[in-house]
Amino acid sequence: MKDIFRFSEKPKFENPSLIVGWNKDAGKLSPKVIEYLNKEMNCRSFCEIEPADFFSLGGVAIENNIAQFPENRFYCSDSDDLVLFKGDEPRFERYRFLNALSDLAEHYCNVKELYTISGTISAIAHTGSRKILAVFNQHEFQEKLQGYGPEDMTWKGSPAISSYLLWVAEKRGIAGVSLWTQVPFYLAAAEDFQAIKVTLSFLGKRFNLNVDLKDLDVEIKKQNAKVAQLRQDDSEIDESIGALERGLSLVEDEQMELTKRVTEFLGNDG
Amino acid sequence: MGIRLYKEPELKNSIMLCGWPGIGNIGIFAIDTLRRALRARQIGEIEPWDFFDPVRVVIERGLLKDLVFPTNKFYFQRVKGRDLVFFIGEQQPTNGGTRYAEGQKAYDMANMVLDVAEKFDCQRVYTSGAAVTQIHHTMRPRVWAVPNRESLIGEMKRYENTILMSEIEGRSDQGLITGLNGLMLGVAQRRGLDAVCLMGEIPYYLQGAPWPYPKGSKAVLEVLGKILSVEIDLSQLDGLARQVEENVEQFLESLYSAEAVPPEIREEIEKLRYARPVEPGPITEEEQKKIMEHLDELFDQGGWRDERHL
Repeated sequence: MKDIFRFSEKPKFENPSLIVGWNKDAGKLSPKVIEYLNKEMNCRSFCEIEPADFFSLGGVAIENNIAQFPENRFYCSDSDDLVLFKGDEPRFERYRFLNALSDLAEHYCNVKELYTISGTISAIAHTGSRKILAVFNQHEFQEKLQGYGPEDMTWKGSPAISSYLLWVAEKRGIAGVSLWTQVPFYLAAAEDFQAIKVTLSFLGKRFNLNVDLKDLDVEIKKQNAKVAQLRQDDSEIDESIGALERGLSLVEDEQMELTKRVTEFLGNDG
Repeated sequence: MGIRLYKEPELKNSIMLCGWPGIGNIGIFAIDTLRRALRARQIGEIEPWDFFDPVRVVIERGLLKDLVFPTNKFYFQRVKGRDLVFFIGEQQPTNGGTRYAEGQKAYDMANMVLDVAEKFDCQRVYTSGAAVTQIHHTMRPRVWAVPNRESLIGEMKRYENTILMSEIEGRSDQGLITGLNGLMLGVAQRRGLDAVCLMGEIPYYLQGAPWPYPKGSKAVLEVLGKILSVEIDLSQLDGLARQVEENVEQFLESLYSAEAVPPEIREEIEKLRYARPVEPGPITEEEQKKIMEHLDELFDQGGWRDERHL
């Protein structure tokens, strides 16, 4: 553990829950949720995972004109018994990385429940509601969270890192849930403030957090107004979103075009 | 990181045969065909999570049911009084995301496989892979045999259609075996264990193709049949080999007629059709490089993606 972790302080925990978000996510959902919680709860970083074993450090990537460096940090606050983690998906040694994350959660923090948060790209309109879909690693935990809103999902396919972490946690007997909040596919490359709000609302309810979501309401209103403007200016975009609102599906070309136009429009508009 | 053995039969002087995916999947196709033909039963596995990422998740009604990893299984069968242990791995472990085994994980895997070999009193290990060479796809591939000690050379030379590195034109007696096939020979040598890698030839212009090359696997199996003194029904493999050969012909023909390959490259490939493998290579290294660059590019292009299921 000494080699992999770098502690800046050693806070004490009782039986906290761990909320995990990854920096790259549909609708920027999980990094924004963690950042929002960090701000609202006055969290501070207390530990980070050293990147050398898990990332290629032969230079830095540049994204959005900014040099990027892998960062995997744990955060805590004085007011709530919660641990937050925000990080980049490891490029190498994923099993060892997830075990390291779980080691710290289990042995240092005494974490009893794990929550991973992610966006899931969906064929829905931004004007509709966002569901949170859930995957649990223990039936008892699934029953415990009945009534909080998330819907059970059924799926087979390539595993995301959150599912991998959920499996690692299950092997250690840590109850966990992966929460997948729906993000309209054409907002996947932008920020889906509505999905961020829905996820924060769930977490606020689950952990009795006093999270002020007013800033998000403003952002949602602004984003909806922008997309409404785009619909007004472009009848094809209006038709496509209208079809989604009526529960109809779009063909691949229409999906691509809608995504391209909305992403460009929101990007150009800052 | 662990080995799980469900059964531990008492074996004497056993032989281990190992197969992994690689170029043309020649090795795994050969060893797994033999395993199936001999109806070997699974006796254990290497836990995969330290070596591989999961490939599939199964979620049912909100519950994580399974995370599926590439398997690495041991099998056993006794054939005419001889104990055979098989190891079939669905992927080669790597540290750096390359296709073939390398680094600490590959070394650990090789050692774990050989730990099981020694546990079952294994006297010799066979691995199998592909020998990329200047051969046309219509020709019968030979089998390059690379043992890990000199005393095995004489025996290998006795098997029909095998060839040693020193007998291959332009190679003197040197070469390189990448991935686990090579690593296993070295690690076995360190342990004082006999090991031989049998490599079926594959045309160099097909090494990047997304299809298996059953002709190469068949060549390996014929040699293994002789070594083990077992009759193996190769009719299914023959049928598949014919099908692949036809598909390769059609694929190349479609490239030629669409003028997707320059005429000089077509000419170089066609030269090989009439060359005998014992002859010096009919084309130069530079020509080979030029062809490879062109064909690899075509295999990688979506527009030329082959939709056939082979």
